[in-house]
Amino acid sequence: MVVYTQEHVYRHPWDRVTAAAWRKFTDPASRTALSHVADVHTLQRRVDTDAGRLHAARSITVRSPPLPFILRRLLPAAAASPSGAAICHCVETSVVDAPRRAMDIVVRNVSLRGIIEVEERSTFRPHPDRPDDWTQFRQETTIRCRPLAKLAAVAEKVETRCAERFLQNSAKGREVVERICRYLEAEAAGAAPSAV
Amino acid sequence: MVFGRSKPSSSTPSPEASTSSASAAACSELRAAYHECFNRWYADKFAKGQWNKDDCAADWHKYRACLEEHLEDKHLRQILLESETSPSYAQLDPNSSSRQGSAPSK
Repeated sequence: MVVYTQEHVYRHPWDRVTAAAWRKFTDPASRTALSHVADVHTLQRRVDTDAGRLHAARSITVRSPPLPFILRRLLPAAAASPSGAAICHCVETSVVDAPRRAMDIVVRNVSLRGIIEVEERSTFRPHPDRPDDWTQFRQETTIRCRPLAKLAAVAEKVETRCAERFLQNSAKGREVVERICRYLEAEAAGAAPSAV
Repeated sequence: MVFGRSKPSSSTPSPEASTSSASAAACSELRAAYHECFNRWYADKFAKGQWNKDDCAADWHKYRACLEEHLEDKHLRQILLESETSPSYAQLDPNSSSRQGSAPSK
């Protein structure tokens, strides 16, 4: 099992950063940066207008990096593609507590759980030093290969490869959120650039 | 091909182009309308303290009805169909066994 954590400080207020986080996968200008994301759908949403809470679940369909041949043979046909990549559905569950200015996101894979389990937990909170200006982002990712005794060595390689890929994609995701924040900032100032 | 109406007709898996699925194609306009409403409502109202009204419920119901018709992946469908019946989906810890520390561990 591999567990790692990441932190980042956005020098933008919480409302802007979380608005940007919602747009991360659906913003057309982000398609190139996040090319591993094939499709996103909202599957559930609920707004509690008394408590100021928003709950949502989205599906995120991703293309995995090409897998080693031995693992490709384990894939269900539906998830395989000719290049050796796998098509994998993840579900992202988000809760935003507006009065507390808290956004919590959990992403888990729902496909291929017989082979690998990935869980990514992220939080967005006002930064303790400058709560009205900055936002603290924390993320913990857990990657666990299923115990396929004979494949333990391969499984370890896959965990490492997945972890590397997740780190890369996580960095890209932060860049995208930063860019959308700048766009929203300009828009709020009444000078929205025509292209993001 | 994971969701979409057309099943692969041969034993060869569909090419990667097909990941833009039939459900995405069929519901893309409704999805875009919902996103536009949601993004504006979230940024201008909800996150800024005006959470007493859900502006996008109508757009959401149209989009969801489309997904109900076109979404085929069984895992995703199950989650979609749970939404109106079960309020418990929002829990973030259904099977949380992972509350370990931070450093890479085995």
